[in-house]
Amino acid sequence: MDLSSQVFLDLVDSVIADVASECHRIARLGLDRDLEVVEEELRLSVEARAKVADPSNNLETNTKYVVDIFGQTHPPIASEVFNCMNCGRQVVAGRFAPHLERCMGKGRKARTNATTTTRSSTAAQNRNPRRSSNQRYSPHPNSGSENQLASGSPGVASEDCSNGTVRGNGKGD
Amino acid sequence: MKHSVNPPPTPDKDVAEAFEKDELTLREIINIKLVESGEKENLMELVRDRLVECGWKDEMRIACRELVRKKGRKDVTVDELIRVITPKGRASVPDSVKEELLNRIQNFILSAAP
Repeated sequence: MDLSSQVFLDLVDSVIADVASECHRIARLGLDRDLEVVEEELRLSVEARAKVADPSNNLETNTKYVVDIFGQTHPPIASEVFNCMNCGRQVVAGRFAPHLERCMGKGRKARTNATTTTRSSTAAQNRNPRRSSNQRYSPHPNSGSENQLASGSPGVASEDCSNGTVRGNGKGD
Repeated sequence: MKHSVNPPPTPDKDVAEAFEKDELTLREIINIKLVESGEKENLMELVRDRLVECGWKDEMRIACRELVRKKGRKDVTVDELIRVITPKGRASVPDSVKEELLNRIQNFILSAAP
């Protein structure tokens, strides 16, 4: 009977529509990880890796400044200038640690300079022997640049001396 | 008494149209009865099960994937998929499935007919 065939086709059409809808959804959402797609993406990722590892890239730009995932570059020595919260002076961020060492009087080097500049020589002489023996046992990280700054800066118990203008006045903005 | 004589629809076109209209109504009636009795739902479930069992649905999904690959994942539409799949789908239903369904439908129509 033609009528039953029509009903039958109607049912089949419904199922076809279901299948089409399902496949459409999977296609649009990219849920169906097709072999081709996976291969293509794999190929692209291999290319990208090769590009990154390629030594013929601009070495000048790569060795000094590393680019992070946001595309920002960070110079190896932090150049931002701010005020030390201990002594209130302007300090270059990259030199903050050595500054703090002196500024907070970590120990011998700072105090030695303080005593020699602020106190009388007799007092310093009395203290010096002890100092020198101590110095033998505990090595200081003496760097040439440190002495440069230390010569002008006093120890902990210091009033504001000459404003230590540090190099690199460029403010990191 | 005066009759208003309505001339019968003699031209062939009108006859055909009338015949079609009756058949549409009949089909609609059957459809309504199918839905009301719940038989339509049973038949749908039966059709789906049979078509999945025999691999027809997988064949259709492969055909869909082919079309998606051709047209591009983001450009393909549901209508397009249906349009392309339907002729192939209708033709590839296994005879056994078709027979079973037709029998059930015919039985229903016979039992529903007054």
